[in-house]
Amino acid sequence: MTTRREDLARRIEGRLAGKSGRALWRSLDELSREPAVLETLRTEFPGLPDLAEARVGRRRLLELMGASFALAGLSGCAPAEAPGEAIPYVTMPPGLVPGVARHFATAVTRGGYADGVLAIHQMGRPVQLEGNPDHPASLGALDPIIQASILDLYDPDRSRTMLTAGRVASANGMVKALFDRLPALTARGGDGLRLLTGTVTSPTLARQIGALKRRFPAMRWHRWEADGRDAVRTGAVLAFGRPVDAVLHLDQAKVILAVESDVLDSAPGHLRYARDFARRRRAPEEGRPEEMSRLYAVESMPTLAGARADHRFAAGPDGVEAVVRALAAELGAGPAEWRQGAPGWLAAVVRDLSANRGAALVHAGPAQSPAVHALVHAINEALGAPGRTVSYIEPVEADPVDHGESLKGLAADMAAGRVDTLLILGGNPAFTAPADLDFARTLGKVPFSIHLGSAVDETAVLCTWHIPEAHELERWGDARAFNGTVTIQQPQTRPLWGGWSPHELLAVFDGETRPDGYAILRATWMESFQGKGDAEQQWTDALRLGVVADSAAAPASVSLLPDLATRLPAAPARPDGGTLTALFRPDPWLRDGRYANLGWLQELPRPFTTLTWDNALLMAPATAERLGLQNEDVVEVRTTTGHLRAPVWRVTGHAPDCVTLPFGFGRKVVGRVGRGVGFDAFRLRPLDHLWRLPGVELRKTGETYRLAATQHHQMIDSPDVVRHATLDEFRHDPGFAKRKEPSQSLYPDHDYPRNAWGMAINLNSCIGCSACTAACQGENNIAVVGKDEVLRNRQMHWIRVDTWYEGEAEAPDQTYFQPMPCMHCENAPCEVVCPVGATMHDTDGLNVMVYNRCVGTRFCSNNCPYKVRRFNYFNYAGDDNRLSQSWNPDVSVRARGVMEKCTYCIQRIREARIAADRESRPIRDGEVKTACQQACPAEAIVFGDLNDPDSAVSHRKASPLDYGVLTELNTKPRTTFEARLRNPNPDIQEA
Amino acid sequence: MAGVFSPTANIVTKLVLYGLLGGLVTLAGGAWFFPSTTYATGEGIVQPQPVPFSHEHHVGGLGLDCRYCHTSVEVSATAGLPPTHTCMTCHSQIWTNAGLLAPVRQSLATGKPIRWNRVNTLPDYVFFNHGIHVAKGVACTTCHGPVDRMPLTWKGASLRMSWCLDCHRDPAPNLRPKEAVFDTDWKRTAATPSGEQLMTRYHIHPETLSDCSVCHR
Repeated sequence: MTTRREDLARRIEGRLAGKSGRALWRSLDELSREPAVLETLRTEFPGLPDLAEARVGRRRLLELMGASFALAGLSGCAPAEAPGEAIPYVTMPPGLVPGVARHFATAVTRGGYADGVLAIHQMGRPVQLEGNPDHPASLGALDPIIQASILDLYDPDRSRTMLTAGRVASANGMVKALFDRLPALTARGGDGLRLLTGTVTSPTLARQIGALKRRFPAMRWHRWEADGRDAVRTGAVLAFGRPVDAVLHLDQAKVILAVESDVLDSAPGHLRYARDFARRRRAPEEGRPEEMSRLYAVESMPTLAGARADHRFAAGPDGVEAVVRALAAELGAGPAEWRQGAPGWLAAVVRDLSANRGAALVHAGPAQSPAVHALVHAINEALGAPGRTVSYIEPVEADPVDHGESLKGLAADMAAGRVDTLLILGGNPAFTAPADLDFARTLGKVPFSIHLGSAVDETAVLCTWHIPEAHELERWGDARAFNGTVTIQQPQTRPLWGGWSPHELLAVFDGETRPDGYAILRATWMESFQGKGDAEQQWTDALRLGVVADSAAAPASVSLLPDLATRLPAAPARPDGGTLTALFRPDPWLRDGRYANLGWLQELPRPFTTLTWDNALLMAPATAERLGLQNEDVVEVRTTTGHLRAPVWRVTGHAPDCVTLPFGFGRKVVGRVGRGVGFDAFRLRPLDHLWRLPGVELRKTGETYRLAATQHHQMIDSPDVVRHATLDEFRHDPGFAKRKEPSQSLYPDHDYPRNAWGMAINLNSCIGCSACTAACQGENNIAVVGKDEVLRNRQMHWIRVDTWYEGEAEAPDQTYFQPMPCMHCENAPCEVVCPVGATMHDTDGLNVMVYNRCVGTRFCSNNCPYKVRRFNYFNYAGDDNRLSQSWNPDVSVRARGVMEKCTYCIQRIREARIAADRESRPIRDGEVKTACQQACPAEAIVFGDLNDPDSAVSHRKASPLDYGVLTELNTKPRTTFEARLRNPNPDIQEA
Repeated sequence: MAGVFSPTANIVTKLVLYGLLGGLVTLAGGAWFFPSTTYATGEGIVQPQPVPFSHEHHVGGLGLDCRYCHTSVEVSATAGLPPTHTCMTCHSQIWTNAGLLAPVRQSLATGKPIRWNRVNTLPDYVFFNHGIHVAKGVACTTCHGPVDRMPLTWKGASLRMSWCLDCHRDPAPNLRPKEAVFDTDWKRTAATPSGEQLMTRYHIHPETLSDCSVCHR
């Protein structure tokens, strides 16, 4: 077998040698042809030898076998079990049909900004979230974090009761305690009363806080978002004299420079930006090659935008700022001396940007300095971007202030005893506050503090009162999206544990003992709808659609202030050779740590590092080599703010001489899932260096720590999996991705008289965001297995996102993302080896998995060349402590000993099939959307009927770029890919 | 020396051997056939209920349509059980003091649902859909038995997979015109279209109906 596979690999390599194929690799170990990694390529179940330590003795085994046989015999003689109870409603809720899903529009916020969602209800309970197609920020897609908020809703570790000084208390007690303080506060005009929130975009909360300020003029409202956008805000103030928000129009952008940009990862509106970006990247195969955009990126830590860039340049933080200053100087927005020391490639980028005036765009991420942001505004102005590729709107955040300064003021006042009553509405400042503020200690000095939070966390235990916060899916609220559009959040269920909303808590100040969140919210909107027609109708429409009509923020007319260059803070000094700079970055999924108790997010491999269940000190391979460090070496990290121990992970494309510390891990007071996971980088993060801290020292401790990275899991043994070319190569040879495929088979051909379901995944669209993996996990009841099991190669995701690199280890020319679900082969290798017929070919060509037949031989997985089958080694789903009503009732929950894999969302196909058959009509194109397709912001995944020549998937597959993976094995995969095109600038010589 | 075994030992040995063999065959046969017995499937077995509801009276006697209570049978996977309010449409007017109906009145008064004992149930890995069966001319009584003659409801069929497959492989004998699916008195007449004709009319393709994915997801 091995020889056959080696033979095959040789043949493919030989064939590639004649083509443009350059070697692709997935990890540094693979690039260096590490023997251990090559071995995993040949082992189907690399996790198995680890089990030696869990050996069961012979005697024990016989005992267990005997017991199970005896029990099996007994259970065989039992009469039919009483089949349980059937419990109808007393009064059927209006509009409900038992067994038919219903959709309700609402929104879930991320860092304060709303993404519109549709909550899918089964028998009155929300079981899943999908994007709301009518919402401007989501357009029907969702990122993994928002998808996981349904898991958060059902998290059994959420707090369920009021606490005072650690003891259970009643809501009456809390209200009374607050009432008792009101006379004194009123007498002092609110002096000593403080409010701490995250980013607030809610018009109702803003209205309530405004009213509170009028009643208590001396009250102060503080803001803190650890993963915030202070630099973006300050940059706008520097450039325009006042805060404004920028809305990007990537559909208009032909040439883009991303400066460690979060435009595809996490910026407000990123789902929409991803869609606009992807559409222009698909233009060539749709016959409009001149519309393809070109993306440049310069960054320290790889971002998704950087991975998708046609030219990506790694630079330390000082280098990035130098590039932006030089670019500004080139475009006449800065003094000529800034040009000194600019890298050689910049001239070509400047030419390209200038040549596309009005269709060019520069965007910087929130970790860049305010100076960079101000300069980016000036550069965009010089490129004619305003009004075309970028537009400015009044800030979406209510009363925007600098969060760092705001929190610093609060900490100082708390330390000085000037804070008497503190209300913390959401957030976990005791964990996320900068290390040098000593926030946790000073918080303990406040005589009366209330923490409103969804779980007992680091802040809750330090406050005199903790109030369980109602989840966004169980309370009335409102929030604004990146462009200001308002969504009224309607509760999808009664509060499971009787939580309070911030609106209700603030209403206690108005003398209400049991405030009604609905009434508070309606008051805001009825007033706003007054005089614009039928207010009641507008309210109903807003709830039904999930957006308030015409609520987008007003455009801001701004002009660049003169003398920008002279008012900017000085550029950071280039650190001396050898000194390391620490970069603080949020974990892509846990953000500031608030999602640490969500198993889906803990186990979702991070882009680039593929780490699960841990964070690590990330650095460039060259830096690691210089310091003599390997992956998983534990080092002591010492900075001016403190020290901690962290394992090392080398990241391809990371800038040299700096190390990234992802924060959000290392929570101390957290539920069962997040406990003891990772290290807490917030402990080193000082207020005046929130994103980069020069002068970090590393000391090797000699210890190692195992990290559960998935980059070597489920490897495909072929160098021809990702196919790609430049736009020019595509013009000359549009069929470059095609290979000759064998046609002979020992098995008879199948006939597909009805539908032939197929999927096309466009690598030009895929941005590697993992939304598909998360959506699949939610839809298909995929279990979370935990770190130990991930280390054994046993994560259960049905669709994984493979990352391939090309070029040098330090600065890969290209990064390719490739989502890999089941291929639903027409000649499926898995089907013919199953001894019990548990994996079968159905009429429509689906390769179906019959769980109740599977006996767990794992032959199918062994024979699957794509490595997409997952086995339940333990009772993962049964052992999960999530609430049973949170599982999707349309999909079997798999037991131990059963194989599973992507089903093309068979439950959705069957639902459409039944609906169509009931009406005796064929299934319409687009009627079935798989969960991954639904969630994908970039429209990379298209699913449909291949028998219908007019279906969207048939059109995609007619693209010259269409190819199947490992088709040389004659598997005839139904899932195919569109090869990736790059649009490099011919003026820039690739290294 | 006298024989160790008496002459009867031969008989005993044979009896024991045949007995063992017979026992094994009986056991194996029992194990094979036991699951299909009504004892194991519950077919024809009445479950005790909090209210002794009679389909015979309501359907056979009063002539209520199945859909009066099982409202979602045409559009959903589940047929639906009537909420207490449905019972009370009539019973707020008649039999208002009947002792038998006390649990119904109590349910309305307290807002707590009536907890019926299930008569039919399927394993969690089977996804049955009422709507499509009704739409294709499979009548209620075809699977649930003569409901209009059940004073207390019993299980009308074994609901074993082989029973499902019998029909999925050859649906013709079990089909009737769609208009008659809720008719508990329906009889095939000379004018009734044949099963084969109905299969054509309703686009039923048995070759697709035994796909695993039809019921298992």
